[in-house]
Parts: sequence; structure tokens; C-alpha cells
Amino acid sequence: MQDTENMAAELEFEEDEPPFSDPEDFVDDIDDEDLTAQEQVLTVRFSCQLLEDVLRERPLEADGIDSVVVVDNVPQVGPERLEKLKNVIHKIFSKFGKITNEFYPEAAGTTKGYIFLEYASPNQALEAVKNADGYKLDKQHTFRINLFTDFDKYMNISDQWETPEKQPFKDFGNMRHWLEDPDCRDQYSVIYESGERTAIFSNDPKEPMLAEERSRWTETYVRWSPKGTYLATFHQRGIALWGGEKFKQIQRFSHQGVSLIDFSPCERYVVTFSPLMDTKEDPQAIIIWDILTGQKKRGFHCESSAHWPIFKWSQDGKFFARMTQDTLSIYETPSMGLLDKKSLKINGIKDFSWSPGDNIIAFWVPEDKDIPARVTLMQFPSRLEIRVRNLFNVVDCKLHWQRQGDYLCVKVDRTPRGTQGVVTNFEIFRMREKQVPVDVVEMKESIIAFAWEPNGSKFAVLHGESPRINASFYHVKSNGKIDLIKMFDKQQANSIFWSPQGQFLVLAGLRSMNGALAFVDTSDCTIMNFAEHYMASDVEWDPTGRYVVTSVSWWSHKVDNAYWLWTFQGRLLQKNNKDRFCQLLWRPCPPSLLGQEQIKAIKKDLKKYSKIFEQKDRLSQSKASKELVDKRRLMMEEYRRYRDNAIQLYNQQRDLRLQLRGGADTDELDSNVEDWEEETIEFFINEEIILLGDLE
Amino acid sequence: KPILLQGHERSITQIKYNREGDLLFSVAKDTVTNVWYSVNGERLGTYNGHTGAVWCVDVDWDTKNVLTGSADNSCRLWDCETGKQLALLETSSAVRTCGFDFSGNIIMFSTDKQMGYQCFLNYFDLRDPQQIEDNNPYLSVPCSESKITSAVWGPLGEFVIAGHESGEIKQFSAKSGEILKTAKEHTKQINDIQSSVDLTMVISASKDCTAKLFDSATLEHIKTFKTERPVNSSSISPIMDHVVMGGGQEAMEVTTTSTRIGKFEARFFHAAYEEEFGRVKGHFGPINCVSFHPDGKSYSSGGEDGYVRIHYFDPHYFDFELEA
Repeated sequence: MQDTENMAAELEFEEDEPPFSDPEDFVDDIDDEDLTAQEQVLTVRFSCQLLEDVLRERPLEADGIDSVVVVDNVPQVGPERLEKLKNVIHKIFSKFGKITNEFYPEAAGTTKGYIFLEYASPNQALEAVKNADGYKLDKQHTFRINLFTDFDKYMNISDQWETPEKQPFKDFGNMRHWLEDPDCRDQYSVIYESGERTAIFSNDPKEPMLAEERSRWTETYVRWSPKGTYLATFHQRGIALWGGEKFKQIQRFSHQGVSLIDFSPCERYVVTFSPLMDTKEDPQAIIIWDILTGQKKRGFHCESSAHWPIFKWSQDGKFFARMTQDTLSIYETPSMGLLDKKSLKINGIKDFSWSPGDNIIAFWVPEDKDIPARVTLMQFPSRLEIRVRNLFNVVDCKLHWQRQGDYLCVKVDRTPRGTQGVVTNFEIFRMREKQVPVDVVEMKESIIAFAWEPNGSKFAVLHGESPRINASFYHVKSNGKIDLIKMFDKQQANSIFWSPQGQFLVLAGLRSMNGALAFVDTSDCTIMNFAEHYMASDVEWDPTGRYVVTSVSWWSHKVDNAYWLWTFQGRLLQKNNKDRFCQLLWRPCPPSLLGQEQIKAIKKDLKKYSKIFEQKDRLSQSKASKELVDKRRLMMEEYRRYRDNAIQLYNQQRDLRLQLRGGADTDELDSNVEDWEEETIEFFINEEIILLGDLE
Repeated sequence: KPILLQGHERSITQIKYNREGDLLFSVAKDTVTNVWYSVNGERLGTYNGHTGAVWCVDVDWDTKNVLTGSADNSCRLWDCETGKQLALLETSSAVRTCGFDFSGNIIMFSTDKQMGYQCFLNYFDLRDPQQIEDNNPYLSVPCSESKITSAVWGPLGEFVIAGHESGEIKQFSAKSGEILKTAKEHTKQINDIQSSVDLTMVISASKDCTAKLFDSATLEHIKTFKTERPVNSSSISPIMDHVVMGGGQEAMEVTTTSTRIGKFEARFFHAAYEEEFGRVKGHFGPINCVSFHPDGKSYSSGGEDGYVRIHYFDPHYFDFELEA
């Protein structure tokens, strides 16, 4: 009670505060002795609590200054633009709290270039400093923000160096835990029950093993990061990243109404898109986040998300680029600023794409009066044009990079002069050869699908019109030739899926083609197996190229939702039915840590290793059949016991049965043979007409 | 090769063998009740009279009388041999399921919950002609909760085992009408209940994509057979440890036209292992009713396509064994 009395006395000195103590003539008419001990304790506690709350809010001496921030690098404007500037500043900074005061110092007719803003509380000021510092208003102005008190602090830095306190380490566990599975099982995510449940399984040829399962883990769908470290889930308020052994939440990004995301290849950044959040002054439709720190790095406008991802990343994550009308803008990380502070003006640019192997962009522009259409390869950051290729009478182009960036295929649709129809050429750029020579492959039919072999130099094409669809396989040889290795005709296919390791592929007729599958080995272009997964909507290879999953998603077909597991040769291993199954995604693997030499060495000794694996497989198989056999034996024994009891009861009731049927024994079908009547029925079997004339 | 019976213009609702198996009865939504020789599929005759879809059919143990129930709000008794209608029992709503008891003296049928009328389970004793004349069942049990969708008699005519829209299975006493036992194992509507030939077990087929085996006397749940489609009907083999199931979906629920001909299959499960071991294709639509022949050497299925197919098993079927 001592303390509260003192504090109450202190409060009385505050000029503007209403007195908290009882007015002088107040008579407490509740006699303390009348209150029970408990009531007394409660009253004391209650008043202490009240006082605590009040004291927390009491104005502190340094309060006003703690809520002030200084913003530097504000544009210097004259009075005519001041209003607009104030509005922009207000919009940007109101996000962090209520601005109670603002001051724009002026000199010689314009603002000085720095301003003071006061918030309603120090917390809001801190938010502003945390989030708005480094904000790029435009090319010349990047805001720098500090707390006003910081100025003070920095001015008074002591000469003595104090070691900064260590922050507690947030241990998420081993983020690569799944790779250490002793049986090398890959993981995949499954969404089912129309999105209600999401589960992670480890792939085992016998049966999928559940690693984690959660209800309403995501509100729409999920995405893995490119190296498999994170699982991203979608929610109304933003996205969340999960990882580690137990799939703990690593990071959360708030972006209201987010609908699409994209990761940088290095897994350092994630780009989120929401159609809801976009204002003229403060673009928020696309936001780029730093995954490790959780910070919002930059926001961008976005007119439409029709071609997501809008920002395409270079293979090492150093650059990201986007195309707008006649412009190609390339940004660099980690500053998030435009490379060389300006975008590239490319009139008529239609499409661009980064090489997956180097920092090279390929883009094309259509014909412009006398200038023919062009495909250009440009290196970054140098902006050197490595190669330019002119194309004539072009209708459309599509860029297809080979997985390692060794080749670029430009599919060119042209209308040759004097003709009406459209023909297609493949212009193959050999990226690894000096001066990037280009070879042309002419295609006579319309193209349905095209795909490069990963890790290799072949490509597969589906061409023709249904029902006459052909599959052709080409090999880009190093001697300058491109050979047609093989063509299969009359295929039921509309998509090509190469194994991520190359050599094998699946030709699939998805959706309307009822799920016809062909498993091909392109080393000799043989079809290993024909199969079918009726109404399959998706095909997914596992990252090692050992297994293929075909699935019927509830999003495209409301019945028979399931995913089937096949070997790369086309042997069906499992059929997994899941109620309202929606999506299966394999967890990607980070690139192997083994060097090329080591991989070669392992391949040489493969025989040695395969013996060990075979033994293991045999053991586990026989174990499985033994388990199954044991289970069946038990079930049969149980069933027999039940049946024996039932039959016993049945035999006991025999007399009752005879009674009910007036003495007729009907227990067996042949119980009362005497009652049987024999009837001969004639059936008409066949009619044969022989013309008498023929007999002669 | 299956024998194809073409005698109905609309989907088959039920098929029944007589006790000896020489006759197969089929009823359908086209108001027609047919009877066929099961040995060669030749049609013996038709029972004419119903004016609405016929939902159920049963024949007594001696193959003397035939009982049918229809959406025309009547349950009719017929002379099997002559085809003459012996009795017409009018009801206030459609008759969904009907059957003769073990002795053939008592009949039961259930009526639908329709147009303000409740579901009733009615019992008539055929030895008392007055009941038939006055259309006055000796016992009428109301089912206020979930309506009865399918029912069979218990082993000695003491109770009826009924499956409900809720998925529950109940035993209704034939003397008092009280509920003797209840089993709550299915999660969706029971489409069909059939007994084993010796009446010791019943198998229930449900919309929840499973069929379950129960003991008739105790309603103890013995086995479950799982599929990915709703099960419309199931039957227990008289001689092997097998059950057959037929299903699919109603025509209005299938939104895409299947380009696969004859895709709807009857599935065979091992009764003890609960594992599927065979499928028979052939119907052009969902299978509505399946039934083993009393000698276990063949089975029949009636489909949404209006066809009844009789399949005789080849020797393989009897030799087939799952490793155990």
C-alpha cells in the first residue's frame, strides 16, 4: 500500500491530469472492517491494477520526441507542388500509424529536402523507420528515415565500444532434413478433400509414408521453393513459409488477397502478387520479400497477372526483369534498383526469357515496316548483344530454353510470301559454340507441344492434328546437324513430360484425351510401355527421374480423384485414391553437392552399389508379402470362427425351419430330390439353310 | 459369355432369383415385371398391372407367389405360374421394399416418406384373408426418423432387418414392431440389403462407397469392403467366401459423357480378406442390382441401361485363391 500512496501523490503534480485521489470532502462510507478479508484484498488489487494501467499511459518527459521521425531525401519542391508532395508523403507514411504533426522546413522558396513527422506513439515511429527506410520514391529520391532521438543518440555515442548483445538464435532445425532419408525417399505434397487437408508424404514404392498432415494448412494451393527448402501456403492475409524437419513456420509475409507467388532461383527472395492492393502512389500489387529477414524489399504496380511470373529471375538470382510496353526493365539484387538506373527501350518487344544457365536474356521484336523481325541474345550486366537473328514474315515466336542453357529453340510461325498458310520453323541456337550458330528445322505440320531434354541435347515435338498426332524426336548433334531420330505416328498425346534427368519421357493425352500414356526411352527411341490413367489431368516426375505420378485432380474432374505412381519404365506401382484429391507436387532437390568427377566415379562402381540395394529390396519385399500373408491368415481364422458359430446356431434352428415350411426340407438345394420334377424343354439353338441346288 | 436379357425399356430397380434358382425376376422403372429362365435367358412371362415404376420384387420359397411394390402406391401379390394378380394393397406413398418371410405366410413392405406421409413398415399375414380384403395390416410400424430404403427378413421370420437413408440398420420385430437392435456403421444411405442363402448374414450396400457384412441375429459388424464409387447393391456367394458389388452413380450425377463403352463393372471381393480380386465389365451405365444364383455358379446384374446380364463363372473362378 505504501507504493500506491506515493504514486498517487506524484500524480497530483501533473498539471493537466485530473486528480486521481478522492476529492477532499469525500467520505468513504464503507467501513473497512465490514468488508471480508477477501473483499479487502480484492479492492486493493483492483486499485493497484487500475493505477498500473493509468501509469502506463502517463505522458513521459521525453515522449513527444520519441514519436518524431526525420525523413531525408525528400524532393525539394516549390509551393505549387508542396500540396501534392504532402499528400504523397502522407499516403506513404500513414501506413505506420497516425501522423499527428508534420513539418516541412523551407529555404529560399523550396522545401529543404528533409521533413519531420510526428506519430501518435513511439511504436508507430519505430515502424516507420523499420519499413520506410530505403523506400525509393523515384529514381532520384530514396528516403532515409531516422528517429529524431537517434540523432541525439548518434551525436552522443560514447567513446567506449560496447559489444552488442547477442540475439537469441531462432533454430528451425535442419532445413535439409528430408534429404537425409536413409532410403532416399523423395517427398511430395498432396492436397485433398477439396483443399481441406494438406499432407506431405515420403515416396516409397510400396506405400506412401505420411510425414505430416494438417487441416486447412493452406486456403487455396501450395508451392515448393525451387530447391525444396520451403513449402509456401496461401492465406487471405498473405503467405506463410514452412520448413525444417517438423515443418515449422519459418516466415510469414503479409499481402492481403495474395493469389500468385514466385521464388527466386537462389531461394533468397519471394515475389507475391495480389490483385487487391494497388494504389497509384504506392504500388503494392507485386511485392518482393527477403525470405531470411522477412523484410519487404520493394513494391510494384501490376496491370494484369495474365503472364505470371511478371518478373523473371536470372538463374543466379542476381537480376530480375519485367517487360512493359516497349520496355525491358532489369533490376539487380539486393538493392532492388534498376540496373544502371535505367530500363532498356526496345520498341515492340513481345516476349523475353532468361537463359537457365547464364545471365543472358533472349527477346524478340516483330517486323516493323522495313526492319525484319529479330531475336536478340543479350548478356547482363554488360548489355552486350551476343547474337541477333533476323526472321522474315513472322506471325509469332515462342522461346524454349534447354534446361542447362545449352540451347535455345525459337519456335517461329511464319507465313511465307505468296502463301496463305502458317508454317513453323525451329531456330536452334547453339549457346555453347563460338558465335552461337543457328540451325533451322522445318516442320510441316502444326505444333502441339515442344520440349527439350534436360541434361541432354535432344528435343521432342508433338505435331499434327487430332486424331493424327505424331511424336518426333530430334538430336542436336555437335557436328552441326540436327537429326530426326524417330517418329511415332497416331499417338494419343497432347503433352510431353521429360524426366528431370533426361533420357526418358512420358507422352500423355491429358484431359480430353482420356489419359493415354506412353513411356519412351529416347536413347533408342523405343516405347517401353503404353498405359492409361483415365481422365488424368497432370503428370509429375519426381526430382530424381525414377518415378512418375499421374493424377486426376478434383479441380478438373469430379470423380475418381486419385494419384497413381509409376516407375520411369511405365510399370504401375500404386493407385492412391484420395477423397477430392486436388494437387500433388514433388519436393524439389537442391543441386547435387557432388562434383562431376565424383558422379563419374559412382557411376563406374554402380554394380557394386546395386548389389547392396537389390538385397535390401528383396528383404523388404519378402517382408511385405510375409506381412500380408500373416494378416490374411489371421483374418481367415477370425472369419472361420465366426462362421462356425453361425452355422452351429443354424443347425440348432433346423427343426424350426422344417416347421415353418410345413415339413419341407429346404436347407440344401438338393435336400428333397423326391419333390423334383423332371421336365424336358426344347430350346431353339440354330438354323441352317442348305439350298438343295448346292448339294449337287 | 454373358446372357443379355432385354425386356425393359428403363433402368432395372431389382432382380431376384427364386429359391431353386431356375427363375430370375426383374423389375424396372418402366412398370414392367418380368420373369425369365435363368438357364438360357428365355422370358417366361410378365406380370401386368402396375402403373408406376416397380421398385421391388420377391418370390416365396415355394415359387408359388410373387410380391411387387411400386411407385403407383400399391403392393401387389401375384400367382407365379399364371400371372394372375391375387391381391392389390393400396398405400399412401410409394412402396420401396417388400418381401416374404421364411415360411411364405407373412409379407412385409415399406412405404416412402412422401407428400406428408411418413414411412411405414407394414406386415400382413396371408393366412388371414380378411387382412388383405380390408387392406388392414396386423402390424404397421411408423419410422419417423430416417426412412427405410431396403429391407430383408431375418432367419426365422421373427424380425425384419431394415436399412435406412441415414445409414443405420435396424431389426424390427414382426410381432410387436419394436426395434430390437441397431447398427450405426454406414455414414450414408443404405442402397440395398441382401441376406446370405442360409440367412445367417446380411450385406448392406451404401452410398458411402462401402459394403458391410453383418451377422443377422446380433447385427454385429463383421467385414467392410471399400471402393471409390457409391455401392448400389451387393450379394453374398452361397458357396465361396466371396461377395459381389455393383455401383456407380445415378445418371444425373455423371456430368461428363464417358467415351468408354461398358465401363461400369461388377466387383468381386474376398469376404474374409476384404480384398478385391476381380472385376467384370459390360454395363453401359451404373449397376443397380446384383445377385448370386442360389447354387453360386453364376450371378446376375441389372443396370441403369435397362439390361440384365447373367454371367456363368468359368472354372478359374472356383480355383482362384489369394495367397495365405
